[in-house]
Amino acid sequence: MPTPLTMPRLEMSMTEGGLAEWLAPDGAEVNEGDPIYVLETEKASQEITAPASGRLVHKVQAGQIYPVGTDIGEIV
Amino acid sequence: MEQAAQTNLGVGPATLLEIYRQMARIRAVDRAIQSGLSSGRLLFTYWPMTGQESIPAVISQLTSARDYMVTTYRGVHDQVAKGVSLEGLFAEALGRIGGVNKGKGGSPHISDPASGSMLTTAIVGAGAPIANGLAFAARSRGEDRVTIVNFGDGATSIGAVHEAMNLAGAWRLPVIFLVQNNQIAEYTFQPDYTANSNFASRAAAYGFRGVRLDANDVVAFHQGMKEVVEAVRRGEGPVLVEAMTLRLGQHAGVGDSAQLKPEELEAGRKNWALPRTRALLLEAGVSTEEALDAIDEAARQEVETAIVKAMESPVTPAEETLLDVYGDPDVPPRRGHYPRREAEAAPSGPTKSMLGLEAVRHAQELALEQDAAVWLLGEDIADPVGGVFKTSLGLQDRFGVERVRSTPIAEQAIIGAATGSALVGMRPVAEIMFCDFIGVCMDQIANHAAKQRYMSGSATHAPMTIRMIVSGGVGGHGAQHSQSLESWLLHTPGLKIAFPSTPFDAKGLLLSCIFDEDPCIHMESIRMLRGQRDEVPLADYRIPLGVAKVRREGSDISLISYGWQVLECLAAAEALQKEGVSAEVIDLRTLVPLDYARIFDSVKKTRRALVVHAATEFGGFGGELASTIGEEMFSTLKAPVGRLGADYAPIAYSRDIEMNQIPSARSIAARARQVIAFKA
Repeated sequence: MPTPLTMPRLEMSMTEGGLAEWLAPDGAEVNEGDPIYVLETEKASQEITAPASGRLVHKVQAGQIYPVGTDIGEIV
Repeated sequence: MEQAAQTNLGVGPATLLEIYRQMARIRAVDRAIQSGLSSGRLLFTYWPMTGQESIPAVISQLTSARDYMVTTYRGVHDQVAKGVSLEGLFAEALGRIGGVNKGKGGSPHISDPASGSMLTTAIVGAGAPIANGLAFAARSRGEDRVTIVNFGDGATSIGAVHEAMNLAGAWRLPVIFLVQNNQIAEYTFQPDYTANSNFASRAAAYGFRGVRLDANDVVAFHQGMKEVVEAVRRGEGPVLVEAMTLRLGQHAGVGDSAQLKPEELEAGRKNWALPRTRALLLEAGVSTEEALDAIDEAARQEVETAIVKAMESPVTPAEETLLDVYGDPDVPPRRGHYPRREAEAAPSGPTKSMLGLEAVRHAQELALEQDAAVWLLGEDIADPVGGVFKTSLGLQDRFGVERVRSTPIAEQAIIGAATGSALVGMRPVAEIMFCDFIGVCMDQIANHAAKQRYMSGSATHAPMTIRMIVSGGVGGHGAQHSQSLESWLLHTPGLKIAFPSTPFDAKGLLLSCIFDEDPCIHMESIRMLRGQRDEVPLADYRIPLGVAKVRREGSDISLISYGWQVLECLAAAEALQKEGVSAEVIDLRTLVPLDYARIFDSVKKTRRALVVHAATEFGGFGGELASTIGEEMFSTLKAPVGRLGADYAPIAYSRDIEMNQIPSARSIAARARQVIAFKA
């Protein structure tokens, strides 16, 4: 079963987040815990790690801001 | 006795394995949350405790569900090890009806009395005063329960913790103040926020023992905590434990700590109790890789099952909004809903002439007599002083030191102790002297006592009473001892507020407050306490909360007031009568619940209304009443509803100013004439 990746809400006040950079390319095999993208919020930027192991699928472009809950990719 | 010798470690193998299993469960929860938040599967606010798992895992082996725990928003590890159901925990964090608190508290406000997890606060350090109340209740009932209150090193800076430790020391309470010293206060390291990072050393200042233990060494931590828990259980007084640990994660959200340097993070990971305990179990031959992997996998599955089930529970619906604010869903005021509560029957039997302060004292005496759960606390309330207004004179002599207790001058400690004891069914009556002092304990009143029923989805509630003296209009108390601050309290759902105008009502309302299931504020004016005398029945009688009373009948205007301003309204009505104006005077008696039904009855008759109070007019309760009367009775009214409150200034020391800035019979009569003279 694929693991969906949506723009997370990491703080109470967060409504949107910037996907600054994909750290693993589209189609790359990733292991759970590997950094997969850089998330930028008002407070800080941080690396988000893979919640599961598998092939990473990008669904959106880096360098843009997306609302919390946006479908940004999946791990299949 | 377990074969401790078998491991040569001082802790038996079964206990060590159980500690590991609890750590594995906590770790599985932490990982599932972090991965769920990262992927977007879960949406809630999370304050990770990665690195601190060993603390509750060890404590779980030394305590049972009978023991009380208070913790903080960074306390998921504490909840898991205490035995809160994981499904209930996740459902709560997700705001679902199936949560342990019906989705009304959320991840930072878990209460689960079945497991002994009594209260979780998101206000740093605020749990400590409440833990005292739990510990007090256990001791006064002769139970050997231990109360443990968890907080971080950052919380040692806040006043509530200081007040709580001081009171616990003075009262020798069976409570453990557990500082989970994870080295970082939110985003700030220790040298920047304190000149003394040896938190255990602070206990000496309060006259009890402090110990520093390495929580990453589970064997040493178990041995140290065992000794402490046993000593506290034996009744040897409070202990401050500083559990040395390191938060590896963020203050909030997911991922590694951004505050720690990479080398600090790496060293921290090596020293982390989780891998260290695993290595120890293998080295000592207590377990095998396969067996430990199986424990990890079982924990992972337990968590996954819990999440799946939690997500099946519906989001708590909006229909729940007004439920659990109070025990009675009719209490929250709302537009169009004006219940008429039954008025009291006139009490019979012998009476005695009493000043207000004697009526208040008598109510407390009756309550102490009839229910062992009732206890009084406050500054100077013990004999021989009997309270600065003598409202408890003789009660400690009669009922003993455990039931009538003077406190340190520390209002947060007072309200917290009351709240904690109320959570487990006691009926505390806390006096905070002047109502102006709510400023120093408002967090305990508004964020804790008032909200606990709601935040816990009625898993707990706080049947407590807070008595406060209201000055103003008597002269000489100055700006910090003369305010009428009911509006501060009215803005806080969860409190009931009574404000009697007579000694007779004070006794009947106070008894109702004491035996109510929700936190009640009983406001007592100095004029009522010292200046008014009634024939007060000696019997127990109750004046129901939410029933207003017509003090004087009239037909031209309704003067609506409460507390000591009712007397001024009666005097104004007398003056108006001489001019041929018939004023009705309504005494609200309680502000929450509010008796709109009887207010409307009166205004229907008089077709004019003036709301009067001693609090400032601007932003005062009068605006609320005037607005609702205006909306509901617009076509009946002959004039807009008038308001009269104090001028918008602090209460002055000058007698001339004070007597003029607060409404008086003269200014009330003048304002009533304006309302009557209104021409559309």
